[in-house]
Amino acid sequence: MRRYGHFDTAEDATQEALIAAATAWPKEGRPDNPLGWLITVASRRLTDLLRSEQARQRRQKTVAQWTLPAERVAPAADQRAADADDRLILLFMCCHPALSPASQIALTLRAVGGLSTLEIARAFLVSEASMTRRITRAKQSIKDSGVRFRMPVVSEFDDRLRVVLHVLYLIFNEGYTATSGVNLYRTDLSSEAIRLCRVVHHLLPEDPEVTGLLALMLLTDARRPARAGPSGELVPMAEQDRTRWDAAYIKEGVELVTEALRRGKPGAYQIQAAIAALHDESPTLETTDWEQIVALYEVLLQSSRNPAVELNYAVAVGMARGPRAGLSLIQRLETDGTLVADYRLQAVRAHLQEMAGDLAQARDSYIAAAERAPNLAQQRYLNAQAARLMR
Amino acid sequence: MKYMILLYGSQQDYDAMSGRPSEKPSWTAPDFAAMGQFMEAFNKGLADSGELVETRGLTAPVHARRIQLQNGVPVVTDGPYAETQEVLAGYWIIDCESFDRATEIAAELSKCPGPAYASASVIDVRPIAESRNEF
Repeated sequence: MRRYGHFDTAEDATQEALIAAATAWPKEGRPDNPLGWLITVASRRLTDLLRSEQARQRRQKTVAQWTLPAERVAPAADQRAADADDRLILLFMCCHPALSPASQIALTLRAVGGLSTLEIARAFLVSEASMTRRITRAKQSIKDSGVRFRMPVVSEFDDRLRVVLHVLYLIFNEGYTATSGVNLYRTDLSSEAIRLCRVVHHLLPEDPEVTGLLALMLLTDARRPARAGPSGELVPMAEQDRTRWDAAYIKEGVELVTEALRRGKPGAYQIQAAIAALHDESPTLETTDWEQIVALYEVLLQSSRNPAVELNYAVAVGMARGPRAGLSLIQRLETDGTLVADYRLQAVRAHLQEMAGDLAQARDSYIAAAERAPNLAQQRYLNAQAARLMR
Repeated sequence: MKYMILLYGSQQDYDAMSGRPSEKPSWTAPDFAAMGQFMEAFNKGLADSGELVETRGLTAPVHARRIQLQNGVPVVTDGPYAETQEVLAGYWIIDCESFDRATEIAAELSKCPGPAYASASVIDVRPIAESRNEF
């Protein structure tokens, strides 16, 4: 009690230690130091109790964050599951494969997220009138398709769930890296995606990819406080002040991804979350376990081979095995052609060239990257890198 | 009555804002942040007063295409402007009570913080013709 300062919990722990003593001593004999034994057992038990108490508080807090106000007022115990299922059905309908991704996103934010049409329009930088049209058309398509308000049939469930998760992933990314505009962040969209993903995770706690996606979002969003400098300028992960990363999000994300991977069905979101966890848990850039990250990207490439993943793989290889190894992978991507117009390919190449000491080439690559970057904050960052190499 | 406020800038101004090495010194991070804050507050003020109809910024002049009829055939030129030529960079359409009020709004916009050379640029206000009869 003196050591830990939680009276009620300490009392419970002592009780439990005495019960343990009553069970163990008759069988195993009385220990040499009975008081010490009791204190040790009680301390261990107290630690467990405090942990579960913290977990409970965290769960309550989480639930309170995503529960709609109306439900907070009237928590009819027998209706909760049904309400919850309705939201999931609604989510499946909004993410119907008949709709374009843009419509899926808009409808999800409107119908499930409860954002106003104006808010969604502002988030995607289009006029309210055109967002209204987009949502109306999407609703009409669903009506025309004759889909009934029910869960997808079992044979379609997994595919339909993948679409829902992809929509949430897109909403998160849209918020995390705003594709246009002066500001780098559209925080609301990222927070909204996390909130919706928590709802899905709450309803489908057994699905490792749902858990993996939630973990990925938390582990990515954890870096947000360090991602912008004092004037809102972009700070890449390598230069971020890691003490500003959100420790609570990292802890929660790591726990979630650990739990998901334990189920033995690794998917793309779980692997990406595992990679994010390795970054987040490393106190410095230098201590990052790049070999492990390379290995995870190799697993990821087997299931979802796409240029963006290959690019990240090249970065990891460059960090683990030297810039030349990374550059030869970039070379291969370039001849492949799909990413040539993408600023990220040029940015990664610039970074690896700089690491390799090819400063003039690195400078040209930074400028080429800036020309292709869709976001003014990214342009400013990349041009500043080029300017730095000119001095 | 509707008015259009026109803001101008050259390719060099765009380069300076994006930090691209060029003739003009790059905007510093605080300059850039102050400009963003000013614009957000300015637009919000117009939206709140109900005077804002629409506002848009245009991408760098280098992305412009010019179409010109030559011997009866439309010919397209990419990036038709010189580096230093000031061209339309953004506009606001406002609906307000008088030309004087529109002028007042444009004068407010001219106070946008930034490097000295950026604020040397001019701003125009022009009444909008709602129909052919108003030209």
